Amino acid sequence: MGEALWVEKYRPKTLDEIINQEEIVKRLKQFVKTRALPHLLFAGPPGTGKTTTALALARELFGENWRNNALELNASDERGIQTIRERVKDYARTMAIGGVPFKLIILDEADNMTSDAQQALRRTMELYSRTARFCLIANYVSRIIEPIQSRCAVFRFQPLRKEDVLRRLEFIAKSEGVEVTDDGYEAIWEVSGGDLRRAINTLQAASALGGKVNSTAVYRVVGRVTPEEIGKLLQVAMDGNFLKARELLRKLMVDYGLSGVDIIKSIHRELFNPKANLKLPEEVKVELADLLGEINYRMVEGADEEVQLSAFIAKVALIGRKLKGG
Amino acid sequence: MATYPWTEKYRPRRVADVVGNEEAKSTFISWLKSWFNDKPIKKAVLLYGPPGVGKTTLVHAAAHEYGLEVIEANASDVRTSQALKRSVLRAATEGSLTGYKGKIILMDEVDGIEPSADRGGLRTLLDLIEGTRVPVVLTANDPWDPKLRELRSKCLLMEFKPIHQRDIIKVLKKICDMEGIKADREVLREIARRAEGDLRAAINDLQAIAEGRRSISLEDLGPLSSRSKQYNMFEIVRKIFFSRSAEQARAILAIPSLDYEMLFQWINENIPLQYQGSIEAIAEAYDALSKADIYFSRIKRNQEWSLLPYALELMTAGVALVKHKPKLKFTKYSFPQRLKLLSMSKEKRELRERMCSFIASKCHVSRALANTEILPFIGLIYKYNRREGVKILKWLGISERSFKELIGS
Repeated sequence: MGEALWVEKYRPKTLDEIINQEEIVKRLKQFVKTRALPHLLFAGPPGTGKTTTALALARELFGENWRNNALELNASDERGIQTIRERVKDYARTMAIGGVPFKLIILDEADNMTSDAQQALRRTMELYSRTARFCLIANYVSRIIEPIQSRCAVFRFQPLRKEDVLRRLEFIAKSEGVEVTDDGYEAIWEVSGGDLRRAINTLQAASALGGKVNSTAVYRVVGRVTPEEIGKLLQVAMDGNFLKARELLRKLMVDYGLSGVDIIKSIHRELFNPKANLKLPEEVKVELADLLGEINYRMVEGADEEVQLSAFIAKVALIGRKLKGG
Repeated sequence: MATYPWTEKYRPRRVADVVGNEEAKSTFISWLKSWFNDKPIKKAVLLYGPPGVGKTTLVHAAAHEYGLEVIEANASDVRTSQALKRSVLRAATEGSLTGYKGKIILMDEVDGIEPSADRGGLRTLLDLIEGTRVPVVLTANDPWDPKLRELRSKCLLMEFKPIHQRDIIKVLKKICDMEGIKADREVLREIARRAEGDLRAAINDLQAIAEGRRSISLEDLGPLSSRSKQYNMFEIVRKIFFSRSAEQARAILAIPSLDYEMLFQWINENIPLQYQGSIEAIAEAYDALSKADIYFSRIKRNQEWSLLPYALELMTAGVALVKHKPKLKFTKYSFPQRLKLLSMSKEKRELRERMCSFIASKCHVSRALANTEILPFIGLIYKYNRREGVKILKWLGISERSFKELIGS
């Protein structure tokens, strides 16, 4: 059965199909040709094609049976470094099959690894460099420790250009027989912020409404992707209603299964969303962003999500009071 | 954050380090080994004996030593047949994906299964033993309960006896050495005597009087009379909020075997109730509590036990001594709701987790990203165009019914 989600159905299979990253593709094809590959580090914003490129690279290196010689791991899902280390080791230990000189280990969301875990990984990279190559994928290079960076060829994925995103969307819409208006495309571009995965998902959801995909349809979809409680949470906190805000917080964590970091990220997006209902002075937005950053850092370091978010809400309430009181 | 009971901190990781009950230990290990040769003597064992003699500890130590993943269901979980089937039965018949060499199923305190409340729980347990492909371990205090008759006949029984006083003393001595506490022989002997063979109780008592001190003697046992005396969290929380000095707030910490993690949850729950009306006070209190939390996470990550006093002081004195303290009113404190919410929503959270793993593996993303970036879109597609939605669910291998259950609310 074919892929039912368009993000998968239209995920490029070859390096040539990848859009907007010409320089990277050129270099990678060179590697494929010479069959010599350094360790790789792909960095860049979400939805710019990092994972797609890694998978396409594996396919071009190893052919249709690429899965025999490539291991795909997601650092966010492997709870401890122990698991990663053991799976990686077990995998890297054996020789590649089918006449290729090495195996490829794709480690996605690698910037979610603690620095301890990264230190351990660095040793593994050295130990098995004869049989395996690593392709690390991250949003931020800076969150990867320097010793790993220095062992990798670093490729920075550029944010996608508007015309490239729209061309891809047009291609998909045409293949699926969906009619999209100009303001529909415009709206998808605006709400997806250059994230092609988000853009394609939005297109598919909006087209599920039936009829033409115009800006109304797009905004209808987008309004429901982020739980409305996120916007409310900020509003209620600004109004100083702490208990109500905490109730919303718990709803987001329990009913929507969101982690503390998910919530922080959504609030951040809401903060700088031009279509949001909440109107805040620009300097307050910056103050809040500073708070969000601090809370995010604490949670990544293992702090308690509800307590940290509660501390955040209380500070927002103080800011709200100052704004009103003048 | 976590509390750091010494019973956890010093829980043996190897079978050889589990104290006492040598006979039961070796029977258990040879039973476990019989599984590795694919010829188990019996499919399940029932470890029975009084509390605190190492039944559960032995299972964990053995699992650790032989690289087995422990699938645990204990008395705090619901053990209806439904719940059992979902969690344990699946584990019993599936292979392991997690890199362990195998699994072992541990059902603690089976004598606590209520035939009336846990509908069909015992029946399912019997079926589980019948069909299991991995070792099953049950524990009980009283194995002679009539309702366990059928279960007994399916299990190899192993008795655990109270731990000898001299063995308890040895363990206490070792812990004191590791903690850098000088303890004279008398006080350890007295703690061991009062524990009546319950090693866990002895360690808890030791921690209550010795933690954070350089030396202890018989006199220190004074305030520690009976373990069964429950302290009252409502009272403790009130004392903290009403403290006027750091000294007063810190005094709470002297309560023997106070559960810090629980107290942390209680304070979190009740700050906005006690300080209602003063957002300044709430913000200051949360500033202190969230900093205490940072210390707790550092302790946990780096084993920096020396940070514990700061965490505890911020959590008590820091919360009590806020600058904008409102006039304190009588407040009806609340049990930590979050604990209740989490236990109530457990099934739904597990369902979500499972779905996100399906999505994650098909769409090359982490489960977290599947939850925020893919799942909501699938929900919308399903809502707007059921046929299209069902196609996607089918492709992902998710049943429509469980999907509806998840997005229902």
